[in-house]
Amino acid sequence: MIRLQHMLLTGLLLGGSGLAWAAGGETPGITSAELFRIIGVVAALLGIGWLVVSHWVLRDRLPRTFYHWAMLLGLFALPALALMGAVEFVFEETKTVASCNSCHVMEPFVRDLQDPHSATLAARHYRNKWIPENQCYACHTTYGLHGSFEAKRDGLRHWLRYVTRSWDEPIQYSGSYPNINCLNCHGETDAFQRVPSHGALMADLQADRVACTSCHGPPHPTPPERTRLLSAAPVHSSREMP
Amino acid sequence: MNLFFSMESGKLTRRELLQRLSALAGGLILTGPISGCEGFWQREPAIPVDSWHKGVCRFCGTGCGIMIGVRDGKVVDVKGDEYAHNRGRLCIKGILNREILYVRDRALYPMIRRNGRLERASWEEAMALVAERFREAIDRYGPDSVAFYGSGQLFTEESYTANKLFKAGIGTNNVDGNPRLCMASAAAGYISVFGKDEPMGCYEDIDHATCFFITGSNTADCHPIVWERVLDRKRSRPETVIIVVDPRRTRTARHADYHLAIRPGTDVALYNAMIYEFIRNGFIDQDMVENYLTFREGNAERTFEDLKRHVARYTPERVAPVCGVDARQIEEVAYLFAASEATMSIWTMGLNQQAQGTAANRLINAMHLLTGHIGRPGATPFSLTGQPNAGGGVRDTGALAHALPNGRVVANPQHRAEMEDLWGVPRGRISPKPGYHAVAMFEAMARGDLKCVLIMGSNPAQSLPHAERYREAMQRTFLVVADAIYPTETTQFADVFLPSAMWVEKGGVYSQSERRYHLVPKLVDPPGEARSDLEILVELADRLGYGELIKARTPEEVWDEWRQISAHSPYNFAGITYERLKKERGILWPAPTEDHPGTCRRYVPGEDPMAKGTGRFDFYGRPDGRAVVYLEHQRPPSDPRSDEYPLTLVTGRVYEHWHTLTITGKLEELKDITTDFLVVHPRDAHRYGIRDGEPVLVESRRGRAVLRARVSTEITPGVVFAPFHSPEALVNRVVNNTVDPISKEPAFKESAVRIRPASSAA
Repeated sequence: MIRLQHMLLTGLLLGGSGLAWAAGGETPGITSAELFRIIGVVAALLGIGWLVVSHWVLRDRLPRTFYHWAMLLGLFALPALALMGAVEFVFEETKTVASCNSCHVMEPFVRDLQDPHSATLAARHYRNKWIPENQCYACHTTYGLHGSFEAKRDGLRHWLRYVTRSWDEPIQYSGSYPNINCLNCHGETDAFQRVPSHGALMADLQADRVACTSCHGPPHPTPPERTRLLSAAPVHSSREMP
Repeated sequence: MNLFFSMESGKLTRRELLQRLSALAGGLILTGPISGCEGFWQREPAIPVDSWHKGVCRFCGTGCGIMIGVRDGKVVDVKGDEYAHNRGRLCIKGILNREILYVRDRALYPMIRRNGRLERASWEEAMALVAERFREAIDRYGPDSVAFYGSGQLFTEESYTANKLFKAGIGTNNVDGNPRLCMASAAAGYISVFGKDEPMGCYEDIDHATCFFITGSNTADCHPIVWERVLDRKRSRPETVIIVVDPRRTRTARHADYHLAIRPGTDVALYNAMIYEFIRNGFIDQDMVENYLTFREGNAERTFEDLKRHVARYTPERVAPVCGVDARQIEEVAYLFAASEATMSIWTMGLNQQAQGTAANRLINAMHLLTGHIGRPGATPFSLTGQPNAGGGVRDTGALAHALPNGRVVANPQHRAEMEDLWGVPRGRISPKPGYHAVAMFEAMARGDLKCVLIMGSNPAQSLPHAERYREAMQRTFLVVADAIYPTETTQFADVFLPSAMWVEKGGVYSQSERRYHLVPKLVDPPGEARSDLEILVELADRLGYGELIKARTPEEVWDEWRQISAHSPYNFAGITYERLKKERGILWPAPTEDHPGTCRRYVPGEDPMAKGTGRFDFYGRPDGRAVVYLEHQRPPSDPRSDEYPLTLVTGRVYEHWHTLTITGKLEELKDITTDFLVVHPRDAHRYGIRDGEPVLVESRRGRAVLRARVSTEITPGVVFAPFHSPEALVNRVVNNTVDPISKEPAFKESAVRIRPASSAA
């Protein structure tokens, strides 16, 4: 009996690590989205296997207590882990440029972002690797839990608008852009601090009554420029870009 | 709480609880956007706005499109217009448009000087007095005893009306204004070279240029949004070359690939040397020389061979010590200018405000004409204007002492006759005698020849060179000052003060550097009893008995009259109607018909509706269709340095402030941005015992001023710099009032001075 339980637990461990290795494949460094996807998939597959083996195959041969624990693991713990993996995967995956670009309305923005000759703020931050990854998310999410919540809420609203086709072109940034997203990186630099205008407008900048992009924009192509970009060649996924 | 419990039992089953929680969650999501939870569901602006309106910035000649947010009858926010040429960008002054109407010291009611003090009066009293004094002067001393001194900050409708009232009504050409102080040499340059004023290129050329030759312009600080567009070109195409010619290592110069720290007032020598290099290296466009150019020296005809001989005296080696730059650098810069695919020159006050301003302007145009860097995308000689409406309001309407509308001149009898017919006044009404240009106008006041002067939207008591002399002159004259701000330096000398509306408190058309006419809408009411300058001019016309002449009484009526008059000239913008201006982000003239999209590049057949033929160019402003290349010699300095006055003072601006601080000086945000400083090179600071941050006395042959020393290597040794903004420091007391012989623009950038610690002067 004890050996049976040991075998099952060993199988769980081996299966887990084996699946993880398989899912990881040849990619040496994996993104957090991929890691969560692997965790989710592994937990789901293990959960199913675990349930099949412990309920239908070995039910009568397992001690009652172990069976109860096995059910708890198979019915709740592993599905919970699978769910967490899935949620985290979606959470992480929707931070990518490719995810933003999956909505048609975002194409001109992403096309400009990846244009090596564009002079927009977004394109310059992208090609100079000032922001190495998740470039849309990095500038459109304020730091901290509140920021993440806002970003996900905005994303949900945008998605609802998109699937219900209830948006107006040209799309516009609603509200005032949170300058803290710029100041997090630039605020402490000498280049920022030695500009007298920044000092003069500091209170307004901190309260978002003046956007950094007022002077340093445009962050993205303007509406007329976007119309031109939409008629250009199809955009590549961010993963294909150098 | 009833929502969560069934009424009968006071208990709730698990199913009911879940149902209600679901309903609540669904309700929150669905009703959020329509029930005051927008802030939860969607990001909200930091400044709530009722409505947004398209308009134009109040400040510089870049002429940025802005969106103006109004709430409860007040301007509360502005943002850059994404659909305008500035692509949504604004500088700090542009942003602060939202505050300027509400600064302290807004003028609220008319005032009349009684017993030496300006005291509150009614509009009736004030206007009656103004009309009485003007009428008395005209009757007793003739029409030339009165004058109008305007501004590149009035609307076109206002400058046009003032010009018409004085020239076709009163019968004097004494109409001039502050554009004489900043743009006159650029205008004289364009007119003498192309026959017509205003640049032939446009901002779009910036996106195509592969070499920028920026001379006498601190674009980064003074036309920040033009500069951003230049930087965008560099960002998109990093191999684009930026050459800056400036005695100061300005913010513009710090971004340059080549910086020529030239000695002030030696531009003519430098450009001659560059033309010498173009010829030596075979960069002359023979097609241009043979088919599109003529050559002149003064009024005498010359040839290309004469030009060769002329510039042979200006080899880089000979010019280098004159300009204080390296001969090798001149050669390199000349090569880059000529060899680039498309070169764009950009200049402004640095070039214009010198005793050879017109000559320097002519040579810049010549450099482009000779190398063929003209009339193609990116290839153009492009002068920037300083004010929001010096071009359209003053240069195009001919509101200058020598000029008549649409490039006509007073001295030409045919031009006078044309305008007399168009204005419907008898032949001979317009005086054949050109009026007083700005400096001459104040000289005439000093002599007592001018009895009454109306000053609108300008502050000459601070902005004129040799200011003290003209402040005394103003005291001797019956001076009527209309301004949105009270007090200013000039109102100290006013006998009558009239409060005027500012920016969107009135409506009208502005222009900007690239010939774009665009509309400022009236959005809010002016404070107190203030009225628009147009209303003041119309009332003055009525009271002086010229009501019949000034039939157009609203901005739109004036504009309609004006655009129809333009149809009788190569400026033709009859197609730029108010309707279009309300809808579009401005239009570049010529635009002869209402379906014409406007003109980016003038004189180019196919692009410019006024250009005829199929050749590369039709310089239709000239009788022979050919542009003129002038042979110009470098003259000695107008205010020579000596042992007594060993340094050269140049004046300029800072990024945050505007002109004489009447507006920006009152903005809370800008109170710590000082403007009363003098930049001194460490070598000169050491020589004259100046310490950083301490008061320094600047003296010239004309006057003295005390400024705070800022010791910095950003300036060439032998040169000192001060912004002209501060009314307390009033550096214009020191500044040279010599004028360019052709444009009559003062040489603000060439004043011989000496400096010493202010403490030693006590």
